Amino acid sequence: MGTPIIKVTNLSKYFGRLHVLKGINLEVQPREVVCVIGRSGSGKSTMLRCINFLEEPSEGEIEIHGLKIPAGGKGREHYKLIHEARLLTGMVFQEFNLFPHMSILENVMEAPVIVKGMDHAKAKEIAEMNLARVGMLFKKDEYPNRISGGQKQRVAIARALAMQPEVMLFDEPTSALDPELIGEVLEVMKGLAKEGTTMLVVTHEMGFAREVADRMVVMNEGELIEEGEPSEVLAHPKHKQTQALLDRYRTAD
Amino acid sequence: MKLFGSKQTTEPKSQAELLYELQQRKERIFRTNVGASWVFLLLFLYVVFSGDSLGLDAISLDSKFIADNFAFIGKGLGVTIYISLLSIALAIVLALFAALGRLSRFPPFYALSTFYVSLMRGTPLYLQIFFFFLALPQLGIVMPPIMAGVLALGMNYGAYMSETFRAGIGSVGKGQREAAIALGMTSGQVMRRIVMPQALRFAIPPMGNDFIAMTKDSAMVAATGFVHELMWRATRQGRATFHNLEALIMAAVFYWGMTLLLTAIQSRIEARLGKGDR
Ligand SMILES: Nc1ncnc2c1ncn2[C@@H]1O[C@H](COP(=O)(O)OP(=O)(O)OP(=O)(O)O)[C@@H](O)[C@H]1O
Ligand SMILES: [Mg+2]
Repeated sequence: MGTPIIKVTNLSKYFGRLHVLKGINLEVQPREVVCVIGRSGSGKSTMLRCINFLEEPSEGEIEIHGLKIPAGGKGREHYKLIHEARLLTGMVFQEFNLFPHMSILENVMEAPVIVKGMDHAKAKEIAEMNLARVGMLFKKDEYPNRISGGQKQRVAIARALAMQPEVMLFDEPTSALDPELIGEVLEVMKGLAKEGTTMLVVTHEMGFAREVADRMVVMNEGELIEEGEPSEVLAHPKHKQTQALLDRYRTAD
Repeated sequence: MKLFGSKQTTEPKSQAELLYELQQRKERIFRTNVGASWVFLLLFLYVVFSGDSLGLDAISLDSKFIADNFAFIGKGLGVTIYISLLSIALAIVLALFAALGRLSRFPPFYALSTFYVSLMRGTPLYLQIFFFFLALPQLGIVMPPIMAGVLALGMNYGAYMSETFRAGIGSVGKGQREAAIALGMTSGQVMRRIVMPQALRFAIPPMGNDFIAMTKDSAMVAATGFVHELMWRATRQGRATFHNLEALIMAAVFYWGMTLLLTAIQSRIEARLGKGDR
């Protein structure tokens, strides 16, 4: 394998006294789909947010596509690195966070134009291409308040894709959705996986994980306690916390 | 309900439809009656103040005075609007800085903002106006009257408006900023492209109210005697010829008309803003 797209080394995160991440090590290879599971409060979101520096890591190092960023950096150089790393990652949030004052098309064009300085015509072309990819081109002139939750999340995915990132980070992209709208978002994500998009996905959707993920990692109290092929982890969990977690999903279904 | 029903088949209406129609009719009748009462009240005022026709000397208005001074007092309306527009522009700029200062983690900027807001809100506007006209010249700072008035009004309203802006900025969720940051925007870009447009949309209705209130508070500037706006002109003409009643009623009508117009414009703008929202 070549250089990993994401390499997290010995990542720790404290919120005040609270030790949320305790020395995480994780690699994501190009074209790989990795699913993260773990119970609520185990630190899944925090890990994802540290990877694109929405949270400053307390210790350790984040490496994105060869760009090494140690924790605790200060000054111009450090923030420049963070900015570059963010350009290489696309993030999809549980709550969509579309910009309500912009049309769907403007939502997707905004960052390429403002951040990359792309000219309008080119940005529009890329935006429309990505909206088509998630099946949302037909709503391009609508405003976010006029579309369903599932549609919003598909637009949010297109918005992240339009920056042409090396890896997509998903933080429970279907958790805020009504059950009947989950499928359309998972379909889009499956499509991305098939096209070879590198993805790191925090999810509770075990079906999706089994079908799409190349690898599954299990997080518990700020540590990665288990990893392996999804079918293997699901069928033969080695760790008793994993077992407990999976039991909970089974009873929930 | 039928979608393409032909006209001759009059289907019986459902209970809900009937109730709804009844409600609608009641609402219409209520509004018509309110409108009629308004017209009546205006007519009443008109009749009372043109007392001649009723033989009431006490409240007969001197129509000659009104005709003679209409142009002179009316000219003040332009000055009033001019001062108000300049003042609101100044207020918006100051309010923006004060709101940003209040959100800043840079102590001097934060302190300056809270100091300014506290001082302006802690003293009467009337005093502030006189301060700019009368106190500053004592320090050798003399400025054109309009400028002094605009500074006083703008600084005062800027302080109040900064709270509106702050609420507007606060109304933009953390998720919005994070989404923008994750897309690679700098903090300046996040502010300009994502936070401010949404905050302004939130703040425009209260800003409209502030502007309308300011057009009327601008009358206080007249007290200094240097700015020849509506109130100054009305009191001057009224006092000079003992026609205060006529003069003040004229000024009131001008202010009122202006307020009605501005309110109508404001609701138009609000209706338009409502569209793309959430
Ligand atoms: N900004 C913050 N300040 C203080 N504590 C925080 C902050 N963000 C998260 N935490 C705490 O860190 C821990 C891990 O939170 P995190 O959101 O990463 O969990 P999670 O695995 O994503 O859970 P969920 O499945 O509920 O989303 C929790 O105890 C949470 O309360
Ligand atoms: Mg989470």
